Amino acid sequence: MKWPRPNNMMLQVAIRFISLIIFAFSIYLFLAGHNNPGGGFIGGLMTASSLLVLYLAFDMKTIKDVIRLNFTVFIGIGLLFAVGTGIISMLFGYQFLKHFFDTFQLPIFGEVELTTALLFDLGVYLVVVGAALTIILNIAEDEK
Amino acid sequence: MNNLVVLPIVIPLLTGMLLILFKQYIQLQRTASFLALVGTTLVHCLLLFEIKQSGVQAVQMGSWPAPFGITLATDMFSALLLLTSNVVALICLLFAFHSLSAEIEETYFYSLFLFLITGVNGSFITGDLFNLYVFFEVLLIASYVLVSIGGKKKQLREAMKYVVINVLSSSLFLFAIAYLYSITGTLNLAHLSVRVAQTGQDALITAVSLLLLIVLSIKAGLFLFFWLPGSYSAPPTVIAAVFAALLTKVGIYGIIRMFSLIFYHETHVTHLFIGILAALTMILGGLGASGYGDIKKILTYNVVIGAGFILAGLAAFSPEALNGSIFYLIHDMISKALVFLIGGIVIHLTGTTKLEDMSGLIRTHPALGWMFFITILALAGIPPLSGFIGKVLVTEGTFVSGYYWLGAIGLLASIMILYSLLKIFMNAFWGETILSVEEEKGTTKGLMLPVALLTTLTIVIGIFAQVLVPYVDLATYSLLNPEVYIEAVFSGNPIP
Amino acid sequence: MFKVLLTIALVLLSCAIIMNIYRLIIGPSSADRIQALDTIGINLIAGIAIFSVILETYAYIDLILLIGILSFVGTIALSRFIERGVVIDKKR
Repeated sequence: MKWPRPNNMMLQVAIRFISLIIFAFSIYLFLAGHNNPGGGFIGGLMTASSLLVLYLAFDMKTIKDVIRLNFTVFIGIGLLFAVGTGIISMLFGYQFLKHFFDTFQLPIFGEVELTTALLFDLGVYLVVVGAALTIILNIAEDEK
Repeated sequence: MNNLVVLPIVIPLLTGMLLILFKQYIQLQRTASFLALVGTTLVHCLLLFEIKQSGVQAVQMGSWPAPFGITLATDMFSALLLLTSNVVALICLLFAFHSLSAEIEETYFYSLFLFLITGVNGSFITGDLFNLYVFFEVLLIASYVLVSIGGKKKQLREAMKYVVINVLSSSLFLFAIAYLYSITGTLNLAHLSVRVAQTGQDALITAVSLLLLIVLSIKAGLFLFFWLPGSYSAPPTVIAAVFAALLTKVGIYGIIRMFSLIFYHETHVTHLFIGILAALTMILGGLGASGYGDIKKILTYNVVIGAGFILAGLAAFSPEALNGSIFYLIHDMISKALVFLIGGIVIHLTGTTKLEDMSGLIRTHPALGWMFFITILALAGIPPLSGFIGKVLVTEGTFVSGYYWLGAIGLLASIMILYSLLKIFMNAFWGETILSVEEEKGTTKGLMLPVALLTTLTIVIGIFAQVLVPYVDLATYSLLNPEVYIEAVFSGNPIP
Repeated sequence: MFKVLLTIALVLLSCAIIMNIYRLIIGPSSADRIQALDTIGINLIAGIAIFSVILETYAYIDLILLIGILSFVGTIALSRFIERGVVIDKKR
């Protein structure tokens, strides 16, 4: 017996907002990682899931047309960021992965402590987003 | 502080990830991965001389002082293994250029290969137990993909077993690390050594060390090698060769490092246990190697025998025996890669792995046949080839330490190696030539150079072993005197 | 007194999770199992909230959101699976 095609209107409308909320939360987690629980890994996972709910609510083709990113490349770029931070400190004659920090006055945020470890974390973030989405989308695209 | 130590990890990692971005450009991938491995090999040569001159090299990542940050440290032992493994990997890469199909090459083969090397180098270099686990995972994850690359039915079946076994052993590894951390409160290898020496190696620590031994012996193919023959016979030749040459050796390195740097107080328990396992491994491996009639099976069981023999030297735990182990380890990496490559070429030519279906290759491929013969002699330990000095020293060491049975089984295993490999030689190369050149399933074009290079290497190491002796002596010295390693890691800072 | 109440609540929540696990294993249909998984997620959230009251810390607040999101995504994916037979459609 063939079921009639269910209507996903509720889900699709709601997901548009939920995805943005999850994305905002992921950025928060990513930036919180400096002194609190959080960081690149969990932030990346949240970003991946914020994109994933879009794929769930809509379908592969629609989202592929909207988000034209090759997530495999993310892995390469992310690893480059992560190792690059380590190497740069090496080029200046310090030990590998030595990190530096300073406090800056930014226009909106006020006094902010910025570190080079943030760049490393950004690399981790990109790797996690790339790897998680590559795995999930590959499995989903698999022909039966 | 010496940032040279970081380069063996960084160079292959960086190249591997850059190659992910250039998936389609095979020629670029080949050149880049070749250059990366040449680079790491040069770095290892530099490291070797630096260590010879000024002792163990250590670097603290991110400048956090020793027990708090992550330490990378190489002593002579790991530097020798690094150099050998990278030379072998480089030669296997040459073999890969001519033997792999374009499809496999395009599925990120070179990136994965370089990540595998990253993991291997990292495990040899790291001075932190948890980091050792991490680098094990790096090389294992790369190897999961390499086992199943190409996606044949047999590969997928074996890959599943391989993944399950390794995930299980990795989780046991984590348990062992957690126990050790809760007992000693540290994971830095040097600091662990200090703490264990201070409190004495009581029954609890010995039990944890045995758990660690079980985990590492699954990876090294020591006694718990039931998964090894299947998974090493599934992937393409060059990948199987790299696995046989490097992966089990990383496990062996782990065992030797753990039981010489940290758990060296209760040798009559732990090292005797290792000795018994090594003896059982050699017997079972020998039986397997002489019983099967399938080239790949015979070769994989030979890997197992090699692992048993190297650890017999650790069980004896005397300077001669460890010297022998290190010599044999270097020899084993080179000759196992060589024997797998030759076996792969034979299978490639005849299109079968069954010994009874092949015969008389020596008429059409004399060079290949004689190089295989040289390899057999080297593996059996005939002078002046590379296996000889290792065998003599290990056997002497076991006799001196009173483990007569272990030495005897080692010699027996050599005879079994000789028998099993001669069986391949007699069946595949000797006898009636049933395949003419036109009927062969493949060509040896481009495949002979790497094989010849490795053969030359076994001969050179055998003849000029004298040159290696001071290096190996230094390696044994740092293994038997943990304070050298500890001193270098802490570099004068107070030990908390 | 308040501590005791919180502890009792935690114990009850654990019982609920155990019962859910029973349903997760036995559950005759997949819908039962998905329901059980979702309820485990909610119970975990409640448990963590009580835990952070006991320990008097804000550190676990992020965790609550996190588990909420993950169980939400998981439930959507699983329910789409029983509805359509695939998790992500090729095209509409």
